Amino acid sequence: MRLLTWWARRLLTAAATLLAVSALIFAATRFLPGGFAEVVLGPFATPEEKAAVTAEYGLDRGIAVQYLLWLRNAVTGDFGASLITGAPVAEEFALRMPVTAELAALSFAVAVLLGVPLGVATAVRAGSRGGGAGGRVIGGLGVSLPEFVLGSLVVFVFSRYALGLTVGGYVPFAEDPARNLASMVLPVAVLSVFTVAATARTTRDAVLNVLVEPFITAAVARGETPAGIIARHVLRNAAVPVLTVLTTITAYLLGGAVIIEYLFDLPGVGSYVVQAVWRRDYAVVQAGVLMAAAVFVTVNMLMDSAAGLLDPRLGTAARERGRP
Amino acid sequence: MRVSGGLCTALAAAVAAAGCAAHPERGAEGGGAPPGHLAAADENAPAGGDLALQMPVDIGTAYGLDPQPADVATTWQLQSLVYDTLVRIGPDFGIEPGLAESWETPDATTYLFHLRQDAAFSNGRRVTAGDAAGSLERLLAGEGVWRTQLGPVEEVRARDESTVEVRLSRPYAPFLAALANTPAAVLPMKELDEGSFDPAEEMLGSGPYKVAFHRQDVLWRFERNEEHWEAVGADRLQVMIAPQEQARMAALQSGGADLAMLGNVDAPLLLDGVRGLEVAPQATTDFYYLMLNANAPGGLFDDPRVRTALNAAIDRGQISEAGLAGLGEPTGVTPAGLPGACDPAALPSARTGLDEARALLAEAGAEDLEFTLAIYSTAPAPAVAEVIQQNLERIGVTAHIRQLDEGSWSAEVYGDVPADFDAALSWFAGYAAAPMVGQWWNPEAAGFNAGFMDPAPELDAAIETALRAEPGDREALDALCTAVDTDAQMIPLVTRPASIGYRSDAVSPEIYATEGYGNAFRNIAHYRVPDAGGADR
Repeated sequence: MRLLTWWARRLLTAAATLLAVSALIFAATRFLPGGFAEVVLGPFATPEEKAAVTAEYGLDRGIAVQYLLWLRNAVTGDFGASLITGAPVAEEFALRMPVTAELAALSFAVAVLLGVPLGVATAVRAGSRGGGAGGRVIGGLGVSLPEFVLGSLVVFVFSRYALGLTVGGYVPFAEDPARNLASMVLPVAVLSVFTVAATARTTRDAVLNVLVEPFITAAVARGETPAGIIARHVLRNAAVPVLTVLTTITAYLLGGAVIIEYLFDLPGVGSYVVQAVWRRDYAVVQAGVLMAAAVFVTVNMLMDSAAGLLDPRLGTAARERGRP
Repeated sequence: MRVSGGLCTALAAAVAAAGCAAHPERGAEGGGAPPGHLAAADENAPAGGDLALQMPVDIGTAYGLDPQPADVATTWQLQSLVYDTLVRIGPDFGIEPGLAESWETPDATTYLFHLRQDAAFSNGRRVTAGDAAGSLERLLAGEGVWRTQLGPVEEVRARDESTVEVRLSRPYAPFLAALANTPAAVLPMKELDEGSFDPAEEMLGSGPYKVAFHRQDVLWRFERNEEHWEAVGADRLQVMIAPQEQARMAALQSGGADLAMLGNVDAPLLLDGVRGLEVAPQATTDFYYLMLNANAPGGLFDDPRVRTALNAAIDRGQISEAGLAGLGEPTGVTPAGLPGACDPAALPSARTGLDEARALLAEAGAEDLEFTLAIYSTAPAPAVAEVIQQNLERIGVTAHIRQLDEGSWSAEVYGDVPADFDAALSWFAGYAAAPMVGQWWNPEAAGFNAGFMDPAPELDAAIETALRAEPGDREALDALCTAVDTDAQMIPLVTRPASIGYRSDAVSPEIYATEGYGNAFRNIAHYRVPDAGGADR
């Protein structure tokens, strides 16, 4: 029962969050100077043409009315049509989602596959000369280097020296897997610098904390191999903070993907939403921001649940405080 | 103006009042490009193959795919792949045959166009005079901006199956140049009238290519129009929309693009020496101009002496050198590079010194003038604005630069009547005949400027005279330049350069030295793919 109550509360909170986000972004886009008609029709259009386009898309109604109409449709899954193409926003997103999903999934995979082993390795070698300091320096650089700086640098370098890698020129995986991966290497690499560094740092700290626990000493005393201790005892007990940082990384990937897609000309949802902001394609911006918020909220809920499963003590402590 | 070989120039068409049939100059037999070209396609290369092109923005969609209301150069460029016009722009802005293989001008206000017998739309139907006349009538009846540029057309009619007659109410020098741009394209009027073709939703033309696929803001694929009357080089074109300049440069490097439009004025320098990569710095007739709002709050610029002082203080040469890497050219309202363009160094503002400018400001009580200059963020506009800012400091004027995204900029400059900005920087397409863009200096003809321009009868008269004058009438064009310079509500500055990067191992293009309609894909039918004999890429 308590679990159901917890889930109900989380769902209500999530719904309220999404509602607030939708209202905020709706107001923000409408208060941007320069309306859709002015941006898309350009300076040559007459006031009558602008007024006609504004009326055609219902943009002459009050903001509250527009919002309520949008909300009514959104709860039924209808996020409207792109003002630019006239196609349903959901269709436009579906066309671009594979690019963003591939970018995020590859970056996430790199973060886990490189970040976790790196964190464990630097923790295990923390006492050795150079090992700890090196890990900290690399981790510090990685988390402090903004992706738009690194991305711009990479794009600039590869625009001057091809070096066998591709900037832009995205090709769908189904069309040509080799060219697809070639076009993804650099964006994924740039997007992964932060995620690998953050995962490695958190893993390192978490592993260091576990390594001083008495049960690790007991495992050593029992004669278990170092690899076995890491696999059976350390990783499981260090997993919660790593999961937490991976949650944060998921949100980061959503935001970072916007910049990376834009810099590398990847035709994903991120660059699409950026273009939509420039062109005041309100329905697209609205749906894009809401989708990002929804993913963020959902991932947080799932990670909370996963943390509880991995470490039952968290659930017990929460229940003692009135939460599962 | 060069009149040679098979070229039939606007001059000849308007003045000689005689028949004119011509074939465009084509190709280079090795060595350098012919006059008026940056590159000439290798006609010895076999036809066929694929081309991968990149450009920064997709077609504007405000009016769908309909070419007639289109007012953006990138839209013209893409539509020109599918649609053909009666006449075309040749190198050095000569007028060449298009769908009309010849034309006559029995008098200064009558044009007779004789259509090719072998021109057909991509659906196989022959292009008729009814299509051409109907298209022009539709254009004139519409609201598109090109209706103004087409001039005082009084009547259009199909005299027979392959002859179109256009009568003007008065002489209009840029008529043929205006006919050569995409909004004046010949549409399949039979299908349009029957309702089987909606130009806003699809493209069906008689140009060199037809659309195979389009995803807005991502990709176009075009296939050769087998019905096109010319020998078309490449079988297929892929046009990728790549907004980021550096990504387009990188695609050229890696071979992801065979040809790409580049806006960075440093592109030739950045890509210099890269094996197999050529950057053609194409001059354009587009030019930057400074808007001084005559209706600005506080009457900042309602005194002509203030505007004159600012105009005099601006160093166009410095804008070109410091802001545009030396690729722009100082210009008056008749764009530099066009036949008959005036010499900006001979304008009154060029002869007014800084002391005189300061004195004008003092007379007008505007010694410590301070204002905000609204610009949009697209490079190189910020660099141009910074040079203007520094120039004006020399006469004690302080300009605060306010950088906006294009939507916000557009709302600020064109949103209100009267407009409430101080000053703004923008650019106009310069078109293909000297007096064409001058029409935008008349706020009655160019309603979009009415919010910040006061009517100026003398300027209007100069515009009208220049439009009526015979091509090459330097006196009328110089008078127009002087009137604009003196009025100084919109001050022409420097031309806006473009660059076309291409891989010489992947494409043999034909590129004009100067472009009037922002169409970097002009002559794409003539492009050749060097490895067309090999496997498709």
